[in-house]
Parts: sequence; structure tokens; C-alpha cells
Amino acid sequence: MTAERQKHLAVLVAIWGALVFAPYWMPLFGGYTALGSRVLVLGLGAMAVNFLLGFTGVLSFGHAAWFGLGAYACGLTLKFVASSTPLGLVAGTLVGGVAGGLLGALLVRRRGIYFAMVTIAFGQVFYYIAFQWLSVTGGDDGLRGFARQPLDFKLFRIDLLHNDVYFYYFVLVCFALAVGIMAFILRSPFGRTMIAIRENERRARFLGIQIELHIWIAFTLSCFFMAFAGALYALVNNFADPRMLHYSLSGDFIIMAVMGGMRTFWGPLLGAIVFVVLQDYLSSVTVNWMSFIGILIVLIVLFFPRGVLGLLRQRRTA
Amino acid sequence: MSKDLLGRPVPRRTVLKAGLAIGAVQVASPFVLQARGEEPIKIGFDDPLTGTYAAPGKNEQIGCELAVDQINAKNGILGRKIELLSEDSTSGDAGTAVQKARKLIERDNVSFLIGNVNSALSQAMAQVSNEKGVLHIVPGGHTDPITGVDCKWNVFRVCNTTRMEANAVCSLLFKTYGKKWHFITPDYAFGHTLFQGCEADLKKLGGTVTGNELTPLGTTDFSAYLIKARAANPDVLLVLVQGNDMVNCLKQISQFGIEKQIHVAGTQQELESVEAMPPEARVGVWMFEWYWKQAAGTPSLDRFIADIRKRTGGKVPTARNWFGYVTIHAYALACEKAKSIEAKAVAKALADMELPPEIKLQPNKVYFRGGDHQLMLSAFVGELLHQGDGDPENLFKVNSIVAGDAIAPSVAETGCKMQMPA
Repeated sequence: MTAERQKHLAVLVAIWGALVFAPYWMPLFGGYTALGSRVLVLGLGAMAVNFLLGFTGVLSFGHAAWFGLGAYACGLTLKFVASSTPLGLVAGTLVGGVAGGLLGALLVRRRGIYFAMVTIAFGQVFYYIAFQWLSVTGGDDGLRGFARQPLDFKLFRIDLLHNDVYFYYFVLVCFALAVGIMAFILRSPFGRTMIAIRENERRARFLGIQIELHIWIAFTLSCFFMAFAGALYALVNNFADPRMLHYSLSGDFIIMAVMGGMRTFWGPLLGAIVFVVLQDYLSSVTVNWMSFIGILIVLIVLFFPRGVLGLLRQRRTA
Repeated sequence: MSKDLLGRPVPRRTVLKAGLAIGAVQVASPFVLQARGEEPIKIGFDDPLTGTYAAPGKNEQIGCELAVDQINAKNGILGRKIELLSEDSTSGDAGTAVQKARKLIERDNVSFLIGNVNSALSQAMAQVSNEKGVLHIVPGGHTDPITGVDCKWNVFRVCNTTRMEANAVCSLLFKTYGKKWHFITPDYAFGHTLFQGCEADLKKLGGTVTGNELTPLGTTDFSAYLIKARAANPDVLLVLVQGNDMVNCLKQISQFGIEKQIHVAGTQQELESVEAMPPEARVGVWMFEWYWKQAAGTPSLDRFIADIRKRTGGKVPTARNWFGYVTIHAYALACEKAKSIEAKAVAKALADMELPPEIKLQPNKVYFRGGDHQLMLSAFVGELLHQGDGDPENLFKVNSIVAGDAIAPSVAETGCKMQMPA
């Protein structure tokens, strides 16, 4: 085993160790379990955005739409169809992912700013649908009246609703599953192709790669991950509202990805930790917490354009 | 490049990092557990401190703080001090309000939750408090279902229901102004149920609705809605929006000169909004939920006005100050009555509790109705004044003070089926 590989393994062990024992060490630093669940879910969302942004080089500014669709589909399933948490997750993931895939087909020929604009436009369409369709979505009031259900394994039941620690582990398992699949895709030849497109689209095209098809697949996969995160988020709050579809939330995900480090696998999770914890803490201290986040982003973009993880990595190679 | 004390060059990165570190120290508080003596009773306040409802939200906070200080000066609740933890719920983002409610309950272990000005946020918070079994008083979110079809054993409400507000003024509006009504309604829970209440009352009186403009919360430009409303040629234009939306809407109404062609009025009006309007926009018949200038003044009312003036730089108390004040005092009284802070015991003590004169600060009987946990508070019906009468902040002429149970629908009509947990 090379030193590089050993180091890589050590980092992985450290990350998963920190995540697995989070409910035990977080309270020592003023954290609480529900905050951990939120970090994981938003972190997954940021990683899904980064899957597209960092590894395919395509900036979508409307990804909150798929996040919110996942949340609404999960909530509506729990409320009206069947009281089963896994079913809600599956429904949320499918609805958000399929909708993303269908609209993605219309998007893939656009590039750069035009791609970002069209994604915002599509995202806002869903926002206004959720806002206006009062009888189904609850409009601006949000979707209430559903709650995560216990996991029933015949032999034993796991109460996710009243026990935060169980729910945290449930989220962690879901997170691990999604992140595992994401890592597997990125290591596959398909993942390498994505990076080739990011690095030089024209050269990739000359090599015979079907650019549009690959971007569409990457976009769709990213939407599925996003919708899965959204469905989980509906369970974190037992609530969904139109702001989960709004482009400002897409902006938050991009901020997390940029802050932590695009082009790194774990960067967005780190960005989500910084963003969510800072928001949670600062918003209790001052109503102007957004200014502090804003200052932080300006500093990061000016001085560490590759994000926190990017900076660490640069340091090592330098 | 700058030099350090010994004259060596200091890299720019180091300077920046030091700056960042110093900056971080300013905001990072040491996460050290407080010494655990007699732990204070924690009360979570989750209300708008930013956005269109910032003014009412802050005033509720001031009312709460006054009551907290008064109670702590008298040795707290059951001998324990109380501590108010405030969070900004934003004015219209229910997701944030839910997140803050969870934070207060899960991280800070509050025994009692207060909020919200916004009806939709109140409903969303009520779901959280109910799931967690924490006593919850809604100080200022009016939509009917909170103490109606969605009523919950742990949720009480201090302010009126939208139906009570409609009942308080609709027949007067009808008699004074005419029978064709046009509405400007905020597009969320509060506006929806307030409009339904007014529409039902108007139909009973034999009037007609010429239209209902639904405006998203936080609308700043009402011109399109106002043009439509004027074209419909109603007798009365009812402005149901609140907070900054109310201020903007009435300002634009007076800019367009609409109040000279159509009567402008509404149901709920608040001193916060009225003070923010230009004098010519202060028109029409409205109801206040509490008003400071009362014909039958009492020493406790005078004391309350003086106490609030001290905290607001000389401003008189508003209904929102009173909501916050009542919320904390009602909780304290119920805890003392139950001799416990356990949610179920306190909820039982609060149901059917009557507020003493030094807290209700108004003539009629004020009590929580056991069947739906709704406070029966009076409606102050009257007219806005362009200029202050006697005091620059006396901008409302109270014509009548209607008792709460005279305008409230019966418990059966609200649709509430209260169920205590086993």
C-alpha cells in the first residue's frame, strides 16, 4: 500500500468516524442531534450539485427545484398514500429525478450562463406551482400533516419520530448509500468521461464522446441525488414549503459547494457543515447573520477560490 | 509586504489568516456549560424580527421581556427564574420557523414555546410543539384553524381569530359604507380565513363581493391590484394585508387618490402600521385588538404604558406589546396554579383561566376558552385619525369595546375537537 493510499484511507476513516459518533461528540460543542441530521441532508444536496458543477463543469442554478419536488412528493406520499417512510423516500427520489431528467433533455444544448438561466426558469416554474396550488401543496403555508413513520422490521420497530439519535443514524445510512453510489459513478469510466468534458469539451467531442448525452445523464443522476436529499429533508422537519424550490436555496447549495471546495468529493459536505452550523449559531446571536456568511463567501472567493478543501490540497502539493 | 516586530517580512496569507481568526473570535462564544445551580425555566420565543412583520414581532418581544423582568423581580415561577431565548423566525419562511422551533426545543430544552405573528408559521410551529409535547402559546397569528379544526391540547392563542375580527367590524362597515366590497388579501393562511369570514358575514348581510386580490406576503407594489379594484367600482375597499404590506398598500391608495372615490377600511389594524403611514393614508373604520388610550383608565394600565414607554424610547404600548405581556403572564399564572411546569398540567390550568385586571388591562372579562384554547379578548372598534388626538400616538378613535365572547363563534362552530393525550 502506498503512502498516498494510506493517507486516503486515514481520511476516510476520520470522516466516517466523525459522522458515526456525531451524536456523542456534538453536544460537547453546543451542537444537537437534529443539527447533525440537517448537515448531512444539506451536505448531500451540496454534493449532488457538485456532482454536476465540480465534476461535469455545468452550473445549474435551479437545483432546489428537484430538492423541493423530492420533499413535496415524499410529504404527499406520507400524507395521502401510505404511512411508510421508505416509500416516501422512494417516491420523492423518483418524482424529483424523473422530472429533472425530462426537463434536463431540454437543457443540455445550453451552456454556461444560458444553462444557468434556463435552470432558474424551470425551477421557478415549480416554485410558483407549489405556491399557487393551494389544495394540494398548502400554498405559502407549506405542507403539514405528515410525519416520519417508524421503520417496521416485523421483529422490531425503530421509532424515527421521537428518537433523534435513531433518526440521525437512519439519515446517515441513507447518506452513506447515496455517497457510495456517487463515488462509484465518479470512479467508473463514465465518471472519467464527465471530468474529460469538464476539462475540455471540444477535445472530448473530437474523441467521439457524445457530449449532450453524457451531460444529460450526469444532470439526471444529479437530480436523483438532489431529490433523495429533498425527500430526506421533508422527514427532518416533517414539513415542506415552497421556499424549498426557490432559486435562493439553489444559491445556498452552490455556496456550500464553493465554500467547501468544488472538484473535491468531500468539499461540499465541509461547506455544508460550515454553512449550516454558522447559520444555526449566528442566527441566534444576530438577525444579520447573512452578512457574516456573505463576508465569508467574499473572502473565500477572493483568496481561496478552490474552497477550504482545495486550499488544504494545494498546501500539500506545494 | 508588511514587517513583523523583528523586521522580518510577514506573508500576506498570514496577515489575512490572523485577521480571520480575530474576526472569528468575536462571534464565537465559548461553548461552556453554565454552572448548574437552580436552573432557570427556559422560554423559547420564535417570532419575526426581520421582514414585513419585524415591527409587530419586536413589539411582542418587548412585551415578553417586560413580563419576564416583572416575574423575575418577584422571585420567578415556582421560585425559579425564567429566561427568554429569542430566535428570528423571519416573516414568511415557514421552513425557518420550524427549524428554529426545533432548535429551541431540541437544543435549548425550552419548557414553553411562543410564536408566531404569521399565521402560517404559527400553524407550522404548532405541529412541531405538538409532536414534542411542549406547551405553546400563539401570541399573534390569527388564522382560524389554530384554535379551530387544527386545535391541539398544547396550543393556546392570545390574539383574535380571523372570524372574530370579521364579526367585530363587518356589520358596522356594511351599515356605514355600503354593500359592494372589494378585498386586498394576503395570499396565505391568515388572508384566506379572514376573507372567508368577511365574505360569509357580508353574504348574511345581503352584500356582494366584487373581487378579491390575492397578494403574496411581502408585496411592495400594489398598483396592479389597486387598478383592478378601482375598475370593479365597489363601495368599500377592504385592506386585509398586514405589517409593511399594509403600510405600502395604504400609501399607494392615498397616492392614487382612491380613498376619495371609494371608502377604504378593513378589519385588523395595528398601531405599528398606522404610525408608519403618512397622515393622509390614515382613513377608515377598523378594529384594534387592544388599544392603549381607554376611556376607563386604571392604575395598572397607566403603569403598563409607563413601563413600555421606558423600553421603547417613549413609544406607547401596541396590541403586540400586550400580546407578549399576556402570553408570559398567563403562562406564569398557569404554572403557579398547576404547581408544575409540566406541559399537560399547565395546559389544564390554562384552560378556562380568567386573566386578572392587572394583566387583561381592559374593561371586559378576558379568559381562555377551555373548549378551543382561544383567549376571549375584546375588540376595539373605531376610526383612524389623520393626526394624534391629545398624544401624537393617539391615532385611533375607539367607538366601542366589544367583548370577545360576543363576536367569537361557538366552540362547536370552530370545528375544534380538543383531545388531551392519554
